[in-house]
Amino acid sequence: MPIDQLDLKRAINGDERAMQRLWSQHAPHIDAVVRRLCGDPELAADISQEVWMQIFRALPSYRGDSQFGTWAHRIAVNRTLNALRKIRRIAKLETDIEDDSAMTEMDSDRTFIAESIEQAMNKLSPGARAVFVLHDVEGYTHGEIGEELGITPGGSKSQLFKARARLRTMLAHLVDDSPTTKIGRKGNGHVASV
Amino acid sequence: MGMSHLSEEQLDQVIAAEKARPQEPLNEWRTIAARAREEGLIQDSREWRGSLGQQWLQAAAAVLLLVGGIAIGRSTIGLPTTVTSQSAAVATAANPSTAVPANNNATTDFVPSSSASFASVDQASAALDRAVQEYTRASQYLAASNLADQTRDSAAFYRARAEALDQIADAARSALATAPHDPVLNQYFLATMGARAATRQVVSTAGLRGF
Repeated sequence: MPIDQLDLKRAINGDERAMQRLWSQHAPHIDAVVRRLCGDPELAADISQEVWMQIFRALPSYRGDSQFGTWAHRIAVNRTLNALRKIRRIAKLETDIEDDSAMTEMDSDRTFIAESIEQAMNKLSPGARAVFVLHDVEGYTHGEIGEELGITPGGSKSQLFKARARLRTMLAHLVDDSPTTKIGRKGNGHVASV
Repeated sequence: MGMSHLSEEQLDQVIAAEKARPQEPLNEWRTIAARAREEGLIQDSREWRGSLGQQWLQAAAAVLLLVGGIAIGRSTIGLPTTVTSQSAAVATAANPSTAVPANNNATTDFVPSSSASFASVDQASAALDRAVQEYTRASQYLAASNLADQTRDSAAFYRARAEALDQIADAARSALATAPHDPVLNQYFLATMGARAATRQVVSTAGLRGF
């Protein structure tokens, strides 16, 4: 998304309105990646504040070599992963994925699916979640993920394989045979409601 | 219930839905802004206007003092001046009894009072501006009167003045390094530089020796 250069200059000089415009434009996407990587909404809100402080502090160093959103996104990922490392979430053992709680009926299919995937992602280990979010949601390559997380590309691929396998199990309820099927099943004539 | 696994394709559909899902920011702007203000990343808009105004004030004062200094230099060696206000200063110096203020409004508005109190920053700033204008005109008058009593080849007199002005300028410059936006220090500095320019103009135009 292109950024207004005048806004950028004003934001660098401490103009609150220009800074707010940058934030309004990019916060939904930046905060989304923070939320997905963290899992815990309260922790994500705290880290998001730090991320935005870091973005504003680093504004003078933004040279326009990449899109502002890409540049800010990179800061968000780095900052979030650093924060998670500090609280030793990355090193935490994977949680027991069999401890799956019953889903309650949602107001809409979209909300149901969104909450389902959020809950499922939160049940992944922090490392597996980071690999899954960065690769499948944010579009990072395994090489880039390896650099970010300090693991090999092969390790990233392995984590992704495990994460996807677990998500497929945890989200199976989305395609059960009941009349309240939420997502299309290949060849059964249902239309995906996502 | 035949629940087992999503297919890879179905999982991709769920991921695509998650990617497309609009999400709200995690914090409100005022929360972010408060942090940014604490760290000094946000400048108060009033500071901005003040800072810009200060720069314009400095520029305007510099021009005023430079022009005034040149006028003094030209007038004190008998060359015609080109600016009306400068002519007034020269006329005043040559014949104080016919003194006409260069800026009538400024003079009539200026009410010197050692016990004056001010109701606002704007009022105090306006008084300061008037005082600077008065100071500038008085300096021009005194410089011209001063010269009338001196011989044109009084190099020692101008050398002493220039040295003193250099010292004042150095001191003012050092002070500005500590407090760059202080209006009083800026006015001292600009007034000194104006007087220095005037002195050098006199010297260079009159061709004084030994300076």
